[in-house]
Amino acid sequence: MTIIKDGKGRQQAPLTPWKQKSKKEKKPLPGVGSLDGRWGYPAIAPFFIIFLIFGVAPVAYSIYISFFKWDPLGESEFNGINNFIFLFQDSDFWLALRNTFSIWALSTFPQMIIAISLAAILRNKRLKGKSFWRTILLVPNITSVIAITIVFQQLFGRDYGLINGILGLIPGVDHIDFIEGIIPSHIQIATMITWRWVGYNTLIFLASMLAIPDELYESASVDGATKWQQFKYVTLPSLKNTITFVLIVGTIGGLQVFAEPQQLAPDGGSTKQFLTLTLFLYNQAFLNNKYGYAAAIGIAITFIVLIISAINFVITRKISGEGSR
Amino acid sequence: MNKLTTKNAFLGAIVALAVSVGVLTAPAKAADQITLTIWTFGEVIQPGLQREYQKLHPEIKIIPIKNDVDPLHQKTILSCQTGGPADIIAFEVPYSGYWRTGNRPSCFQDLRQMKTSDTNVAAGVAAGLSANDIKKNYLAWRWEQGVAFNDNVIGIPTDVGGLQVAYRADLFKKAGLPTDRVAVSKLWPTWDAFIATGQKYVAKLTPAEKKAGKGFIDDAGSIYAAVMNQGTVKYYQPDGTDAGKLVYKTNPQIKKAWDTTVKALDAGIGARLGQFTSDWNIGMNKGAMATILAPAWMLDYIKKQAPDTKGKWDIADLPVGGGNQGGTELGIPSYSKNKQAAYDFLTWYLAPEQQLKVFKTYGLFPSTSVLYDDAALLEYKDEFFSNAPIGQIYTKGVLKLKPIFEGELQRKIDSTFGAGLGRVASKKMTSAKSYALVISDIDKLFKN
Repeated sequence: MTIIKDGKGRQQAPLTPWKQKSKKEKKPLPGVGSLDGRWGYPAIAPFFIIFLIFGVAPVAYSIYISFFKWDPLGESEFNGINNFIFLFQDSDFWLALRNTFSIWALSTFPQMIIAISLAAILRNKRLKGKSFWRTILLVPNITSVIAITIVFQQLFGRDYGLINGILGLIPGVDHIDFIEGIIPSHIQIATMITWRWVGYNTLIFLASMLAIPDELYESASVDGATKWQQFKYVTLPSLKNTITFVLIVGTIGGLQVFAEPQQLAPDGGSTKQFLTLTLFLYNQAFLNNKYGYAAAIGIAITFIVLIISAINFVITRKISGEGSR
Repeated sequence: MNKLTTKNAFLGAIVALAVSVGVLTAPAKAADQITLTIWTFGEVIQPGLQREYQKLHPEIKIIPIKNDVDPLHQKTILSCQTGGPADIIAFEVPYSGYWRTGNRPSCFQDLRQMKTSDTNVAAGVAAGLSANDIKKNYLAWRWEQGVAFNDNVIGIPTDVGGLQVAYRADLFKKAGLPTDRVAVSKLWPTWDAFIATGQKYVAKLTPAEKKAGKGFIDDAGSIYAAVMNQGTVKYYQPDGTDAGKLVYKTNPQIKKAWDTTVKALDAGIGARLGQFTSDWNIGMNKGAMATILAPAWMLDYIKKQAPDTKGKWDIADLPVGGGNQGGTELGIPSYSKNKQAAYDFLTWYLAPEQQLKVFKTYGLFPSTSVLYDDAALLEYKDEFFSNAPIGQIYTKGVLKLKPIFEGELQRKIDSTFGAGLGRVASKKMTSAKSYALVISDIDKLFKN
């Protein structure tokens, strides 16, 4: 509110509005006030009640059981911080961390490039059947992960898969084992993730591209800029914030990769070559009956997400700082 | 201000109430209709028999809900704490150790306390039978796998996973090996002889076939489980306690099974096709393997996956003899609201007559030993498998089986050894190194 009074417009919107709270501003919040005070809380109550039951309570409970040797159907014994000490000594945890980041990197960056390119193509005003292409992009996203995994397993099969079939035609090239190899298995999983999310991200990029004023392109072409130059100097800089958004959402998703590796092999492969963090957590709880330990892993994952979010936050500030200059 | 807050809280409570009422009110059911919800996996509940039962009892509606084995186990644990909609739950024998131990049997209804009603008298199940009364129909040691350590009967066995060798007679002929099932069985009295036969077969393959990854057996790693189950002790030794004594480091049977499997892997007789993968399914059609160590329940899978190989398969005896793999229990969770109807269904469904039908259509080998000298079982032949007397062959194997004590984490330890052999198969590690890693992985299971 203060910002509008200043008359400087949206450009000056502070990145951290909560830090601007000063002693003078102890007025009721504007949104609730306009709802006549009485109806604001009941209106948002359903969300918060459900969030309390299904969000906060399980988290609190997991923190509690992470200090136990927990048996859901028997006696549990207090275990102090042993679960956490054990976690840092567990080579599987570090392996899972490595795999998770490797799969994340292999899926995120190609995904970005493909999504931005597709969006640039779809932005073209002369393209026919625009809504058809835009709709069809979302189809992989609404397909079940299991179905995708089954199809991709056939593509990536060691002996009879399509990809190896093509590779086999090249003389001197051996079949690649997309399960046993560390990087090949990561590529297989990353491909599935890319397939599923590339359309969704394309639409986000497209929406943000459509918001770029046409005048910018017109003046660029008047200046004699080629299509590529227009893309490089007009489109890409305007997409900075969107890229950051997609990166953050992708990172959170990337740390939760679960169904794809689990479908390939529930234990994450014979050398645990594609055991991811969440699969590690799941297996400790639901295959090894170590619920307390799994809860400790969950807390560790939370901290990893927090650290990465902090890094993201710093980068975001830096990028948007540059953007407004 | 104060008044306003109270009012807000009141409105909030109304909204909360409205939400929870919406969640909790289940749609009302017709009173005379009983719905039996069955949590199951794979082919445990046969649609054909389900329809037959519903025809007998129009008042009962059966809803099987399928899950994979491991997720179902988790669902069962959860529902035991919170209650759930299931009236019958299937669990695999490798998990039986879990459910029989400690106070977990209380999750299931003690079937000794149940009595059959007269609803199935016409269908051959007498009234007033408790689990103790029907026990005599079943294979004794198999029945025990559903009996908890506090003597509660928590599950009734559905099938016995008798193991034999399914082989491709046509491919054997091409390799100059005998094709007759008696002669083939004589090729491998021991596992070493089985591996030697495999080497002979592989030697006859053309370089192109070898390059395409063809082999004698689908997955040499499957030999491990077969050898393990020919012993009497796996990873837990009965010592009078519920838990049993852990012997995964010392049991000579494990070393024997491991070494035999590694020998087979080194001999290169396997096509390296993991069972139930898509490569395995396709390879079955392409003649990528000449043998599969097949439990009775797998025969139906082969038929469905490779219909074109009809008549090319045959069944021979397992080396050494007496193999076992899998098997399922059906139990009634304590929270079920339809225990009587569920028990009546179970006693009918798992009665010898029905098990025979299941065997003939789906190949699940009956757990009811009264059938083992029944001509209908012994004379049953299957066209798909070159008219092999499947009933007789599998009965012979099952009769040689010895009971094995299944401990709490049986299934997990099995898969850890499986992963270890996978590392040897893919040449990621030497046998000794991989074995050491298996042991340290299992150690970790019991630490912390």
